[in-house]
This record gives sequence, structure tokens and C-alpha cells, in this order.
Amino acid sequence: MLTISGVFAGYGGGDVLQGLDLEVPTGAISCIVGPNGAGKSTVLRVVSGLLKPRLGTVHLDGVRLDRLGTAGVLGNGVAQVPQSQALFPQMTIRENVLLGGYTLRRDKALLGKRYDRVAELIPIVAERSHDKAGNLSGGQRRMVEIARCLMVEPSVLLLDEPSLGLDPISLTGVSQLVKDANAAGTTVLLVEQNVRLGLSMATHGVVLEGGRVRLEAPAGELMANPEVAELYLGGAPTGGASAGAQVPRPAEPVPGR
Amino acid sequence: MTFVESLRTRTEGRRGKLALIAMFVALFLYPVILPFAVYEQGVLLLAFLMALMAVSWNIISGFAGYVSLGHSVFLGLGAYTGGLLAETYQVNPLWFMPLGGVVAFVAAALVGMVVLRTRGHAFVIITIALLLSMQVLVTNFRSITNGSNGVNVPLPFWSSDYQNMPFYYLFLVLLLVTIAFAAWIRRTKFGTGLLAIREDEDKAAAIGVNTTRYKVLAYAASAVPIGVAGVVYAYFLSFLNPIGAFALLTSVTIVLSALAGGRGTLWGPVLGGFVVTIVSEVANVYGGGSQSRLLVLGLALVLVVLFLPQGILPAVSARLARRRAAQQKVEYTDQTGVATARTSIVVTPRSAPAAERTAAPLLEIRGAAKSFGGLRAVDGVDLTVEAGSITALIGPNGSGKTTLFNLVTGAMPLGSGEIWFDGTRIDRMPPWERAHLGLGRTFQITRLFKSMTVLENVVAPLPTASWGLMGKDAVSGHEAERARELLDFVGLGRFGSQQAGALSYGQQKLVELAQVLMLEPKMILLDEPAGGINPTLINRMVEIIRDLNRQGIAFLVVEHNIPLVLDLCDPVAVLSRGKVIAQGPPSIVRADPLVLEAYLGPEWLPAEPVPGAVLDQAALSAKGS
Repeated sequence: MLTISGVFAGYGGGDVLQGLDLEVPTGAISCIVGPNGAGKSTVLRVVSGLLKPRLGTVHLDGVRLDRLGTAGVLGNGVAQVPQSQALFPQMTIRENVLLGGYTLRRDKALLGKRYDRVAELIPIVAERSHDKAGNLSGGQRRMVEIARCLMVEPSVLLLDEPSLGLDPISLTGVSQLVKDANAAGTTVLLVEQNVRLGLSMATHGVVLEGGRVRLEAPAGELMANPEVAELYLGGAPTGGASAGAQVPRPAEPVPGR
Repeated sequence: MTFVESLRTRTEGRRGKLALIAMFVALFLYPVILPFAVYEQGVLLLAFLMALMAVSWNIISGFAGYVSLGHSVFLGLGAYTGGLLAETYQVNPLWFMPLGGVVAFVAAALVGMVVLRTRGHAFVIITIALLLSMQVLVTNFRSITNGSNGVNVPLPFWSSDYQNMPFYYLFLVLLLVTIAFAAWIRRTKFGTGLLAIREDEDKAAAIGVNTTRYKVLAYAASAVPIGVAGVVYAYFLSFLNPIGAFALLTSVTIVLSALAGGRGTLWGPVLGGFVVTIVSEVANVYGGGSQSRLLVLGLALVLVVLFLPQGILPAVSARLARRRAAQQKVEYTDQTGVATARTSIVVTPRSAPAAERTAAPLLEIRGAAKSFGGLRAVDGVDLTVEAGSITALIGPNGSGKTTLFNLVTGAMPLGSGEIWFDGTRIDRMPPWERAHLGLGRTFQITRLFKSMTVLENVVAPLPTASWGLMGKDAVSGHEAERARELLDFVGLGRFGSQQAGALSYGQQKLVELAQVLMLEPKMILLDEPAGGINPTLINRMVEIIRDLNRQGIAFLVVEHNIPLVLDLCDPVAVLSRGKVIAQGPPSIVRADPLVLEAYLGPEWLPAEPVPGAVLDQAALSAKGS
């Protein structure tokens, strides 16, 4: 169980998180939604140790994380896929992915085994392994970033907008990837602006606003909530052809036919 | 900001200003009160000179981020200009102060025009080389410079009772003028452009900043005060030799001063100049000989890099800000406000695109190709965007969409092919000229200038190449008003004074759109406008795009949100492996088996063919070859 309690944190210009309390049960896929600037990415940064909270604590199964720093948090099995591009552009894909297993570098055999597994799971890693990461497109980089995080077989995976910049085929790929990782026992905490996609993957949904949790419910319930739909889903709860919806749906009647 | 907070920052600002004024008044009164402290006056006047040079250096290396390691060359140039002329004609060298500035300006401009066309480390090397080669040149050009025998400058005309007092005041006044000059540059459009270059040179070029001109001018401007001071320096020394006048150590001390005080800030280099001069003097006197000074300076540089990477001034102000931060209120996107806002904005396109009158396409790409190593990222693309249309460009990840954008805006040179915009061939133009023609773009991963405020970001774009524009105040009257209007338009009106880097990703996306609108573009390239934006805001974004389109702005949109593309765009072009594989009305997306296979995946089952869609395989492959 990942427990965040009473967290205040910000970037020097005031607190973005203002007394955040949040629990992510082990084995859950929890999706944080909310308006732009509500502090969603900040939550992930606090958990992964990139940002030290001014007040409050973060615990994972009784271990206090918020004082450990990034390396210590990773050592406890928490890995983050950041929002903006974080690959090393001059290194090859293979080198980038192997760096994800930096903490295992003494165990060459295990490192190799993990790499093979990840390459099997995410085909682009194998296909372009000797290409420089700088030559990949935005969406391809996203896949490699996730691959890199899976190298440590994290117990908690933090995903900051996994769908950002992905084409529809990769989108289904990533969402399947997250579900697979979860089925293998990884707890997932993700932030997603493509709210329908995020909530359709998730078991739990959390609405964040003004740096506090405003609503917490099973994902399906949240999707059906008309108020949430109006504010964050861009339309009626049942969907329809709103531009905000991006989950591919099987063939719709073509207009003008 | 609440009233109390604004009052607090205001009084703090005023307190700082009062302290500065008090300090300079004290410096002015010092020789009057203690006229016989000749040694102290001597140290202080050297501190004034060092501060002056550090402030000047800061214009090119702090504001624009191009480090000059040989900046004392301009001191030598000024000194020799004044010294030689004064010796030859036996007149007071101070008459040649303006000429010293002119010589420094011309020298810097010439060198800058050669080396500042490119980016990277060449500039650093060239600045050192310039200093050392001037030293060699002056040593060996005996007929004019008297070589290593040096130049005897006429002695001061005033009674020796005054000692160095006149020089003290001369350097103090020159320092004040230099600070005012740097402050003025920082405030103008020119200064904002320099900061933009430091933060992200590609982006600066994309919003219309003529980066080459700006860099050359900044280098030349940073040479002028030093050239002027050089003449006074020659008079002060009364003897010049090449080794002393073109000393590398002086250059390094300038850099150290600026780094120690705070590179990029206005007052940091002043503070650093004083600290470094006094520390090195103390080392000289109490450390036993001038060699210990080198040791102390080296140690100081190490300490600054280790513990004060930002410099003294930024470190102090960051600490003050942190103490205040806890009480500050943070603002969020006005979600409901934006979603329900119906404020519309009037765009005044510079002139109706010529394409509208001639019925030629606004943007025409012919056979564009670009390779990275062996990878053909863009492989013979033919694409047109009609005036007044919203054209979509879709395709799988890695199909070359963003690369094509980079080719159109000039961020990358075109491999082969032609690009025409509004009747002009643009593929050989630098990016800023394309921006001045009315071509704007946003980026997939937002690229705002993170250390500037949101408002400064929005006013940064330059719609024309006019020289007069550069000297204008960066945030002023009509433009600032327009920028606030645009920020309100995207729902971020309350964020104007926040640092752009503190905004969330989605908010930055909206700021970038407001920024590009300041260019008064005829056409905007949008790279994933909906990515990372809340669905409710996406609907608003669609409205914004439609609204702008109705007022005559054409769009080329890269987007993976298919419902949005189908809803908003007509026509749609599909790119795969660097080639356009289909082009036509939106319905083509669902009708073309090629598109389905390459892009949408098996979940989008093929529907019945749609009339009008390009489906002819043979025609497609013919087009591609």
C-alpha cells in the first residue's frame, strides 16, 4: 500500500500540493485526473523523490520514502516514467534501456535476462536497439522510456501521461502494457489527461483539484459521474463523438455515407 | 497576490533601491571625506573597472549565454587606440574615449559576424584566439605600436596633489553609465531576444528573432564600454605594453567576477567585480607576492562552481524567495472559467495572404526529403495547404510528421525539394524570416522560455525584422495589452507574472499558442495541440482554432486524437514512413485500407469505400516515387 498523507509541496513559488492525502492499494491501477495545473504531476514527483515535500509523509508498506531521495525510492521498487522526454539522445536504445537497470549492473546475467524480457514485451526495443534515441519520434521515445523503467521490475510504477504523443496503435499497445505489468503484480499510479483512456485502464480514480483530493472512487463509478464528466471528460458521461474522447472505438458509421 | 504581499515585495524592492543609492552616494563622497586614502582609492577604482568589464561581459555571456573568454581584448584595443593617438599628437587621451568605443565595436562586430553565425563552442575558442593574436600583432607591428618597448602616454594634466581622484571619479561615472546601458538593454525587446537565445536558440528563431543579428550586436555592445574604459585605463597607467594590455588573466578575472556575483543578473557582476578585486588585493598584500593571487583566484573559482553555481546574488535572492514561498498562494487554471468562456478575440492578419487572391495554395511542399544518417525520415513529400483551411497531418509515430514541420519552419535544412509559402520560396530562408512572412508553429513538447514570466514569453515574438522594434520596451503599452488579451483568451490571464517553468505541461501548451498568435501569423503549424490537455480544454482549444480559422488563419495540424481530427480538419493527409500515403476528405481515414493498416490498427474495421477518397494503389505508389 502506497500512502501519501498531509503532503504540502511546491517549486519555490508556493505550495502546489496543499495537504494531499491519498492511498493506492497494492495491486491497483490508480488514475489521477484533474484540470491542468492541479498538481497531478507534482504528486508523482513527490512519490519518486524528485521533489521533497515541505510537510507530510509518503510511505510504501511501512517504509518511509519521502526522505530517501530518488535513488533510495528506486531501491524500494518505485520507478517513474516522466512526462517530458528523458532519454539520452546520443545513446542507443539498447544503452538507454540497459541504464534503466543501472542498480543491477553487478549482476550481468540478470541484467541480460531482464533486457530480453523487456525487448520481447516492447518490440521497438529489439527493432531499433542500435539506433540512437535521438532519432526516434516522440511516440517511440515514450515506449522506450516505459521499457527502461520495467528493467527494475518495479513494485510501483509511476506513469506521467503515458498516452502523450502516441498514435492509436501504440496507444492500445501502451495500455495493454500497463495492464500486463499490473497483472504481473505491479501497482500503478498514473496521471492521464486522456481521461477516458486512463480511467478505462484503471481500477481506482482520483480527482485532484487545487492540490487536494476532491473525489475518490472506483474508476467506473467516476466515469459515470455526470459532474466529473462535465468538468473533466469534456461532455456527457456516456461518451458520444466528443473530441475529448480518444479511445479508439470500432468502426462508426462514416459521416455522409 | 494579496495586498499585503504586494506591499511587502514593493517595500523590499524599495529598500534594495535605497541601499544601492546609499552605496553609490558613499562611493562619491569617499574621496571628499578621506582625500588622503590614496591607496584605498586606487583599489576601489580598479574595482570599478573590473565591475564595468563584468557588467559588459554579462551582455553577451550572461544575457545571450555565449561565453567570451577573451573579453579584455577590448580593454587593450581601447588603451592602444587612445594611447597611440595621444602619444603621436601629444594631446589628452580622454578626447579619444568615444573612438576607443568605436574601435572595440567594429572589432567585435567583424569577429562576431564570422563566428556567431554558428552555434556551440567555436565562439569561446575564437575569443581567446582574438586576445592572444592581438597581443602578438601589437608586439610585432613595431612601426606603429613600438612593439614590446611599449607606448608612453602623456601624463595627467592635473596637479599631482589630486593623485588618482579624477580617475576614481571617471571610472565611477563610467561604471554607472555601463550599468544603466546594460539595464536598458535588458528592458528592451533586444534584451528579451538575448534571453530567448540563451534559453532555446531554435525556439527563438522560430518566433522571429534574428539570432545572428542579435548575437553579433550583443557582442559588439558588450565591447563598447570596455573600449571606452580602455582609453581611460591607458591614461591612468601612463605606460602600455602588449603583454599587460592584452592579458589573459584580466579576461579570466572578468569571467570569475561575473560568475561569482551572478551571471545573467544586472547587479551580480557589479558585486562580483568588487568582491574579486578586493579579495585579490588582500591576497596580494597579505599573501606575499602576486603568485598567491593566482592561487586565491583559482580557489575562489572552484568554490564558486561548487557551492554557488548560480552566483552570490541569485543564491541570496533564492533563499529570500524560499522564506516567502510558504505564504504565497498558488493559482490554477480556471477550469470552469475557460470551459465556459465565450470571449472571442479579433486577429488582424498583417495582410490577406496573396494565395487568397491568386487561388494558389498557401503552403506548397514539393518533393521534400530529409535523411538522418541512413534513415530517410522524410522521403519525397508533396503536400499543399490551401489558404483558409485546417489541414490535418496524421500518421504513425516515427512517420516524419515533426521532421516535416522542422523543414517547413527552417529548424532543419531541407535535404532536397522545394517549399513555397504564400508565393515565396522559403526553403533557403533562415527560420526568423519565415516567421516574419507569417508562419508560426507550436511544439510537440512545449518549449517556453522557462526562466521568463508568462507575459514575457507571450510578448517575445517579433512579427517583423525592423531595427526600431529592437529598442522598444519588451513589455509595453499596446503589445502588453494584446498579450494579456491573448492570455485571457486561452484562460491563463491570471498567470501573467508567474515563471513559465512553474506552469504545468497543459498550461504551457496554451501559453505557447498565445505566444504564436503574437506573430500575427497567416498560418500556424500545430504539433499535437491536444496532447496533455484536459478533455474539457480540448473542446475549448477546438473552438479557439475554429475561431481563428474563421478570421483567415490557416492551420496544419499534427494530432493523434482521431475524433478531434475528423471533427476539425478538412482535408486530411496521412504520412507513413516519410511518404504521403493518402490525402483527401476526413472520411478517407476510415476508408483507406492502407491508412487502417499503417495507422489506426485492426480495431478500426474498414468501412465501405467513400467516394472522393484516394484509393488507387497504383496512383499512390506513382506519387511516392
